[in-house]
Amino acid sequence: MALVVGVALVLSFPTIAPNPYILSAGIVVLSYACTATAWNFMGGFTGYVSLGHAAFFGLGAYGTGLLIRDVGLPSFAAWLLAGALVLLITIPVGIAALRVRGASFVIVSISFVLILLLVFQGWGSFTGGSDGLVVPRPFPDMLRPQHHETFFYLFAALLTVMLVVWWLIDRSRFGTGLKAVREDEDKAQALGVPTRNYKLVAYVVSATFTGLAGGMYALWFGDLDPIFQFSIMLGAYMVLMALLGGVRHLFGPLLGAFIVGTGLEYFKLEFGDTQFHLVAAALLLGAVVLFMPDGIIPAVTGLVRRFGPQESSIREVTAAELLERNGGTSPVPQPGATAGSDGSRTTSEAAPPDPNDEEDPR
Amino acid sequence: MTTTAPPAARSLETVGLTKSFGGVHAVRDATVTFQPGKINALIGPNGSGKTTFFNCVTGMIKPDAGSVTFHGEDITRRPPHRIARAGIGRSFQLCRVFPRMTVLENMLVAVSRSRFRELLKGAHNPEEIDKARALLVRVGIDHLENTEARNLSYGQQKLLELAGVLMGDPDTIMLDEPAGGVNPALIGRIGTLVQELNAEGRTFLVVEHNMDMVMSLSHHVIVFDRGRPIAEGTPDVVQSDPRVLEAYLGV
Repeated sequence: MALVVGVALVLSFPTIAPNPYILSAGIVVLSYACTATAWNFMGGFTGYVSLGHAAFFGLGAYGTGLLIRDVGLPSFAAWLLAGALVLLITIPVGIAALRVRGASFVIVSISFVLILLLVFQGWGSFTGGSDGLVVPRPFPDMLRPQHHETFFYLFAALLTVMLVVWWLIDRSRFGTGLKAVREDEDKAQALGVPTRNYKLVAYVVSATFTGLAGGMYALWFGDLDPIFQFSIMLGAYMVLMALLGGVRHLFGPLLGAFIVGTGLEYFKLEFGDTQFHLVAAALLLGAVVLFMPDGIIPAVTGLVRRFGPQESSIREVTAAELLERNGGTSPVPQPGATAGSDGSRTTSEAAPPDPNDEEDPR
Repeated sequence: MTTTAPPAARSLETVGLTKSFGGVHAVRDATVTFQPGKINALIGPNGSGKTTFFNCVTGMIKPDAGSVTFHGEDITRRPPHRIARAGIGRSFQLCRVFPRMTVLENMLVAVSRSRFRELLKGAHNPEEIDKARALLVRVGIDHLENTEARNLSYGQQKLLELAGVLMGDPDTIMLDEPAGGVNPALIGRIGTLVQELNAEGRTFLVVEHNMDMVMSLSHHVIVFDRGRPIAEGTPDVVQSDPRVLEAYLGV
């Protein structure tokens, strides 16, 4: 139901948007949603936080622009080919980057985007450097409002494809393996999951979708500058948006992109070229980490569950029931059996240790 | 029961296995043959190299020298997931489950290990889910199927870890301190499970400090001291071996 309303709202946005500026802000928000959802193929499933995903956004954008300008390909053929090139580039990059875990992976991901930034700025004869690269419009006859409207739907379509793929992976055996990597990589490997290949596939899928989002942005915006396309900030926004909404949830990054994207556009509109939007983003990131480490979706569903109609999480259980529930074999009452089975303890970090179970014979 | 017993017990042996960390020789020149189809116990004082040996066999650590042979096949230095696929399942010293996944999802990890072309087949099939549920019934935590593993008690997590290993149908199961940190009732339950699974034809290799459990459960005991086996035999023989007493008591 909420899904239908959401889809209806998104699809009707171009008709209810009061002016082309608001419509273009809507496109920016949708492009953020695309990048955050693409990021989540890696970050959400495997827990590997890449701060450098802007690299793939920039490669997709420049790939599309350069294939149109220098090769003369039709716009959308260039877009698809650029996506394929990002896919090919990501394989060796992924093999190298995924040799390390945790903080080291974050550093490697940042260094990749910085390298690309320098290359694209320095190699002006090829990329246009800091003067920018003008990407010819795919629909030269269209007026600006129509152009915006068309791209609004194109971004929505791309986002839909990503969401469907994410949903398919989430319920697949591949998804189970990726989540196991997120939880405990060594353990997953000991159970037979080829973790390196799984991570690489997730990374390549994530990067390719990010590249496609970048290419779409290039076709829409028509003007590229390395400082914006290969920007650490863009990569950081992807992380912030995904974390804000909830990385374990299909619509988490989309919700986060809606909040962060709308906020950023608002601050830019109200305060112009000041850096207030950065301050606001930083405060938001701090708030998320402190108060909602799992993101908005789990926090809100947790609240609804706590205040809505529910089975009490503490319910009376007779000794006979307890014995039956524990299979009749363990005389020790086990707390997880009574409190955890209705799933109502979403907010607690871990079950309190059962003193009966913690007797260490050593 | 959907768990199928493997056709024949397979042999596992190491020759001259050696691993040093800096100047510390954790395992040196360890040549060990485990008895197929039996419950083998690996005991020894703290720091005698049992867990390092364990990690070398399962590929978590690359040995400096020596070889591991499983059913006539050299599996030395293979990555852990390939050793698991070959049929060696293992548990960890401090029990490790996937905390933010449900009990049922934990079970399905061992069968998510498909080859690349099978990845696209999509969701877990009903047989796998039935098999997972049957194993949860067997270890007695089926009522917790939809609970996140972090909300389980430590004992329940131990049972879940064992059930998760069984999902991969290993014919050789290596348990690192199955009795560590659990109450006596549960130790009995784990012991019974091990005996039942062994009766189905699975080979066990158990690292354990709980001597009651080792002596009552195992058919063959191997004693480690300073990185190498110093004695082996039936529990009775090992208990009266003077070298074992020396290693443990330092007399």
